Amino acid sequence: MTDRGLTPEGWVRLDGRDPDYHAVVEFLHREAELLDARDWRGWLELLAGDVVYEMPVRVTRARSLEDSALVDMDHFREDRFTLEKRVERLETEYAWTEDPPSRTRHFVTNVRVFRLPDGDLVAKSYLLLFRSRGDTREPEWVSAERTDRLRRTDAALRLRHRRIVVDEAVLRTQNLAIFL
Amino acid sequence: MRDGGWLERVVSEVRRGWIPAGVYSDPEVFAAEVERVFGRAWVFLAHESEIPDPGDYVVRRVVHDSFIVVRDEHGEVRVLANVCRHRGMQVCRAERGNSSHFRCPYHGWTYRNTGDLVGVPFHEDAYGGDPHFDKSAFGLLSPPRVASYNGLVFASLDPSAPPLEDYLGGFRYYLDFYTRQSPAGLEVHGPQRWRVRANWKIGAENFCGDTYHTPHTHQSIAEIGLFGEHKASKRKEGALYFADRGGGTTYKLPPGGFRDRLRYVGYPDEMIDRMERTWSPAQKALVADAGFLVSAATLFPNLSFVHNWPRVREGGPPVPFISIRLWQPVGPTETEVYSWFAVDRLAPEEFKRESYRSYLLSFGTSGMFEQDDVENWTSITSVAGGRWARQIRLHNRMGLAHDGGLLRPPLAGWPGPGQAFQGFGEFNQRALLDLWCDAMVGAEEVARR
Repeated sequence: MTDRGLTPEGWVRLDGRDPDYHAVVEFLHREAELLDARDWRGWLELLAGDVVYEMPVRVTRARSLEDSALVDMDHFREDRFTLEKRVERLETEYAWTEDPPSRTRHFVTNVRVFRLPDGDLVAKSYLLLFRSRGDTREPEWVSAERTDRLRRTDAALRLRHRRIVVDEAVLRTQNLAIFL
Repeated sequence: MRDGGWLERVVSEVRRGWIPAGVYSDPEVFAAEVERVFGRAWVFLAHESEIPDPGDYVVRRVVHDSFIVVRDEHGEVRVLANVCRHRGMQVCRAERGNSSHFRCPYHGWTYRNTGDLVGVPFHEDAYGGDPHFDKSAFGLLSPPRVASYNGLVFASLDPSAPPLEDYLGGFRYYLDFYTRQSPAGLEVHGPQRWRVRANWKIGAENFCGDTYHTPHTHQSIAEIGLFGEHKASKRKEGALYFADRGGGTTYKLPPGGFRDRLRYVGYPDEMIDRMERTWSPAQKALVADAGFLVSAATLFPNLSFVHNWPRVREGGPPVPFISIRLWQPVGPTETEVYSWFAVDRLAPEEFKRESYRSYLLSFGTSGMFEQDDVENWTSITSVAGGRWARQIRLHNRMGLAHDGGLLRPPLAGWPGPGQAFQGFGEFNQRALLDLWCDAMVGAEEVARR
């Protein structure tokens, strides 16, 4: 399969005939289900010990999208410790911004799966996150592309690296007390 | 329809420490603010370190007015109205970049990054050339006043605004703690930008003096062990200061000298050395003698700062960070927050990395402190706009006795300008809103009082 430059050197794109393709899609669906059910402990189990979870700030530049993700400012640049702290905080009785909780829906589409030379799998997916807070507030949306690097350990996939490239330069959600 | 005296009545309530809830949502109040507050004040646009090289620019706003903040080819920082002099087209539609020229997409008028108009298509045919159309008269306009302090670039839309340094007044003493830890000053990164359904004043008031909310709103941060200074007992030992156009909060540091106290919050010795050489004796006395260190602050109308020192690794030391933030009004019930990470340019790389981690964990779009603040502020805004609720007088009188006198006298021996109080109190919120009142009713009204 040719991607005309979209697939980096050495990546092999997998299609539906490859069992790993389905395993990755299932991983993403399962993850979205855990997040929307607010099962953060279950979600943390999907992450590798050395996970990197990053979401650069996106800006509007002239002519090209190439430099539109800042290299020196992020919405998230997390590791296992900081993600666990965020979950721990949400579990306290004082995380007011999520009490009452948001109702979220992580819509995951346009999944493309690649195998890397070292056996890791890469999933690129589009994410549309719907977030509803309170009874009457306008709903909030976050649209992004995610590039995930997954590794198979103990017969299960674990997320090693997630890069979230958000489509808005100015977020229209009151905060990121949620995971994407 | 309102009669002519309504704004004066609002202002007289606010001056006595009673805030009609409607000031956080009322379209007429907002329209008056656009004219009287943002049309006159010195408003922050950018930090010079955001545009280090010739041609670098960022696009910023004063409410609805768009400006290009650009470093021209000679290294001078200029502020240019982002409006073509021909038909009003937005000449720069990116939010940052590098360019020697700005060419209007509509008819192609081209401006150098000094603002000079250098290209007009068919100048001869269409305009009759130089004798009939003098290009030098049609450069991009600049706001009436532009000035900077410690690299912070401000503009005022009021030609008769006082000089920036006079405007800042005694607040400069405090501003240096955030923006001048060495002669090299700050480097700033970002901003993160997001829109919240909250009135712009709520954040400004919170940052300038609300130590009372910390133990409650931010209890979750304490509970997970990220911040050791949360306790009410600790927070109320802090001093609240206000001088001229701004004020802020501090924490009381444990006993020790200048160095011990800055080490306590996590500064490495080489940074402390530079602070020692950079700050004036009176500034150093705030830390060394009085034993206070600045935390959050607001400069009227809408620029805030935060300096805090959470823990960012299991069992690790506190790591200080500085953030600059702008509460950019979008409308009466919507604010765009601009939040920058700032760090001394000469800080060790390792410190910069850890300080950035500290910032991201606690403030900004995903910051665990900030998350709960914004929930409060959007909720206030949403209920303040009711037909009936908007006249409810909110209580802004903490620290005042029933008769309006002070419950406690100001701190004696405070080494900085202005006035400071120890303990909980809404001294600063009242002082900030007094400035708002002065602006809203106009200078003549203030002179009459």
